[in-house]
Amino acid sequence: MAFRKRNVALARSPAESPAAEAPSSPASHAPAAAPTPGTRPSPIDGRPTTSTGTPSLDSILAGHAGLPLGNSVLIGESGTTDYAGALLRFYAAEGVVQGHQVHVVGMGEVWGRELPGIAEEKDKRREGKERAEKMKIAWRYEGLGAHGSSRERGSPAPSTGDAAGEAAVFCHTFDLARRLTLPVGSAIDYIPIPRTTGSPFAEILKNLQKQIAKSSPGSIHRLVIPSLLSPALYASGASHPSVVLPFLHGLRALLRKYSTRLTAVITLPLTLYPRSSGVVRWMEILSDGVFELSPFPYSHMESLATSAGTTMDEERPQGIFAVHKLPVFHERGGGGSTEGLGEDLAFTLSRRKFVVAKFSLPPMEGDTEAQEAAVREASGNAMPRKQDLEF
Amino acid sequence: MPPTSRIPPLLQPFVRTPKNESLLLLTSTLDASANWLLTRFLCDALGSGQKDNDNGGAKNVVLVSWMNDYEFWRQESRKGTGLDLGGLRTLGRFAFVDGLSGLFLPAAEDGADQQRPQSLPAAQPGVPATRGPQSLPLRGPPGRTTPATATAQAAPRAPTSQPGLYALSSTSLDHINATVTAAIASLRPSPAAPRTLVILDNPDILLACVPGLTPASLTSFFLGLHTQPSVSHVLIHLQSDLALLAPPERPSPLQIAQQNLVVRTAHMSAKVLGVRVLDTGVARDVSGVLRVTVNRESWADIATVGEGAEGGAVQAPEEGGSEVLYKVNGDGSVRVFERGAGAAA
Repeated sequence: MAFRKRNVALARSPAESPAAEAPSSPASHAPAAAPTPGTRPSPIDGRPTTSTGTPSLDSILAGHAGLPLGNSVLIGESGTTDYAGALLRFYAAEGVVQGHQVHVVGMGEVWGRELPGIAEEKDKRREGKERAEKMKIAWRYEGLGAHGSSRERGSPAPSTGDAAGEAAVFCHTFDLARRLTLPVGSAIDYIPIPRTTGSPFAEILKNLQKQIAKSSPGSIHRLVIPSLLSPALYASGASHPSVVLPFLHGLRALLRKYSTRLTAVITLPLTLYPRSSGVVRWMEILSDGVFELSPFPYSHMESLATSAGTTMDEERPQGIFAVHKLPVFHERGGGGSTEGLGEDLAFTLSRRKFVVAKFSLPPMEGDTEAQEAAVREASGNAMPRKQDLEF
Repeated sequence: MPPTSRIPPLLQPFVRTPKNESLLLLTSTLDASANWLLTRFLCDALGSGQKDNDNGGAKNVVLVSWMNDYEFWRQESRKGTGLDLGGLRTLGRFAFVDGLSGLFLPAAEDGADQQRPQSLPAAQPGVPATRGPQSLPLRGPPGRTTPATATAQAAPRAPTSQPGLYALSSTSLDHINATVTAAIASLRPSPAAPRTLVILDNPDILLACVPGLTPASLTSFFLGLHTQPSVSHVLIHLQSDLALLAPPERPSPLQIAQQNLVVRTAHMSAKVLGVRVLDTGVARDVSGVLRVTVNRESWADIATVGEGAEGGAVQAPEEGGSEVLYKVNGDGSVRVFERGAGAAA
C-alpha cells in the first residue's frame, strides 16, 4: 500500500530527469502530480484529478477515481427536487476543505454558509482509526455491488498512518446536517450574474478569468454553477443558443487553458430545458461529463412503508442516475468499456452521503409476505388479505 | 502495439481518402465521439502508416478544431497512432487552427495566458522539466506588458514563434476563411504529399452560436475551401445527435439549421462516415458502430465526369455502405471488427 507516498516520489523524479519519462503516462501530466492538496494522479494515465466530494461519483468517472482537472461536468436534473444541488454542495465543500478556490456563480453568501460540514470529529488520531475501521468494512462490502474504483478512494488514507493520513485525504465525508465553518477570508468567490440586457455570461467569464489569473500559479480552482439558465437566476434571453453556447465554449477553452488548475460542475434544470432540445444537446457536447438525475416520483405509500420498519429501506434509491458522457473517456472515443457504464445506476442521498450504485429492483420472491404486510399496514387495511379472497 | 497495426486493416479503407477530390462527412453523437477516427485520418494522411505508400495517400493536413485544443490532438495522435504532430508541424506538413481557445473566451487581459499554452508545446521534449520552478517567472512579466501582447494578438497570430499554429479569434466566416487559407498556404507541398487534406472539426458549433449564420453560408465556406488549388479533400466533422437532427413536432431554429447543414453536407460529400453507439445498449467490448456510405452520385463526380470511373473502382470495397464495430481501448489503440466477430478478433 502506501500508494500515495510512493507515487509522489515517483512523480518528482521524472520531473528532474526528463529522460525517465514514464511510458504510460502523458508527459505533460506527470509534473502536475505535485503534492497539491486535494489532487492526485489518475491511476489510469497519471493526469491530476480532484475529488467531486462524492466518493461514488468519483468512482464512476471512468476509472480516474476523481474528476480530471481541466474538465467540466454537467448534471441535469428533472423535476423540482435538488439532488444535483447536494452534489454541488459536496463539490464546493470539498474544495473549501482542500483549500481550493471555489467560485460560485449567481449565488449569494447564504449558499456558501449552508455548505455541509465534515462529518468526522476534528481529533485526528481517533478519526484516523475510525476511518480505517470504517474503510475496511466499507471495502469488504463495496465489492458486492459498487464499482471497483471506489474501493481505491479511501485506502490511501488509513494506510499512511495517522497524521499523514489526515493530510492525504482525497475525499472527505460531509454531513448535510452540519455547517461548514468557512475559513476566514475569501474561501468562496461569489460571481454575481450581471443584470444586463446583453449576455450576462461574458461578464461572468471575464470575472472568472480575472480571478484565476491573479491567483497564485499553483492554486486549484473549482467553478460551481448552480441551476444554469434557471429563470430564477438568469434573464430569459440567457437561454438563447447564441448566448449560452458561447459561454460554455469559452468555459471549455478556459478549462483547457488551465488544464491543471480548474474544474467545473454545472447543474441544469432539465424540466425547463429538456434533453431533446438542441440547445441542451450542444451544452452537453461542450461539457466533458454529462449526468442526468431522474428522481423517482414521491410515493406516499412507499414512504409510509419505509417508516413501517423494513430495515432494507435505508438504501432505497431515490432516483435513476444516468451517465451520458464521462470526462476524458468519451472524448477519446471510448464507450462501453468502463465498468458500470450502461448499467442502470440509482442514487441515494442520505445525510452523510450521496451514493450512486447499481439499480436493481428489490427481490420479490420469498419476501412477498413481508412486503404485503408492510403495504397493508401502511395503507390501513385498504386491501383485503389474500386469504380473504381465496375460498 | 507494433507500429504496423496503428490503423487496423479493416479500418484502412475507411480512413483512406478517395482518389478523387471530394468532400467527406463524418458525423458523431454525444456518447460516440469521432476524435479517435479523426486521429486515424491524420495518421493515414500524414503517412505514418507507411506500409502501403503505393496509393499516394500521403497528404499534408490542416486541422481546424472548434472543440479541442492543440494539446489534446497532439497527445491523442501520439498515443493512438504514434504521430508526432510537433515534428510534422516544423516539417511544414501539418498545421493546426485553434477554434477553441480564443473564439469566445474574452482575451482582454490574458495576453500572458494566451502565450502560456502556446509556448508549452514548443518545449515538447522537455515539458516535464520546464514546468517546475521556471514557469513562475515566465508567467509574471507578460501579464504586465499587456499592450505589447495585445498588439501581437491583433496580427492574425502569425507563425512567428509557432510554425503551423493558428488561432481563430472571431466567428466571422471571412476571418476563419482567411486564417485557414493562411494555414494551408504555410504548408510545404512535397512530391510525396502534393495535396492537402483539410479537416474541420465541429464547425457546426458556429451555426449554433452565431445568430446570423446560415447553413448555406457554412456549406459555401466548405466549398470555398475545397476549391483552393492545393486542397484535395475536405473532411467535415458534424454532430448528428438525434436531438439536433430530428426535430420533434416543434423544432427550434437551431435544430432546423443543424439538420439543414448535415443534410446539405451529406449530399455534397463523396463519402459519409457515421459514428454512433450500439442501438441495443452498451456492451463491454464494443465502443460503437462505424458506418460508411459512399455517395456514388455525388456531384463532385458530375463536375469531373471524365475521371469518374477511376474513382468508382477505388471505392469498390465499401460501396453501398457498410458497417463495422469498433472498440477504443484505454491506451488509445482501436480494434475494428465485423459484426459478430468480436470474440474471434
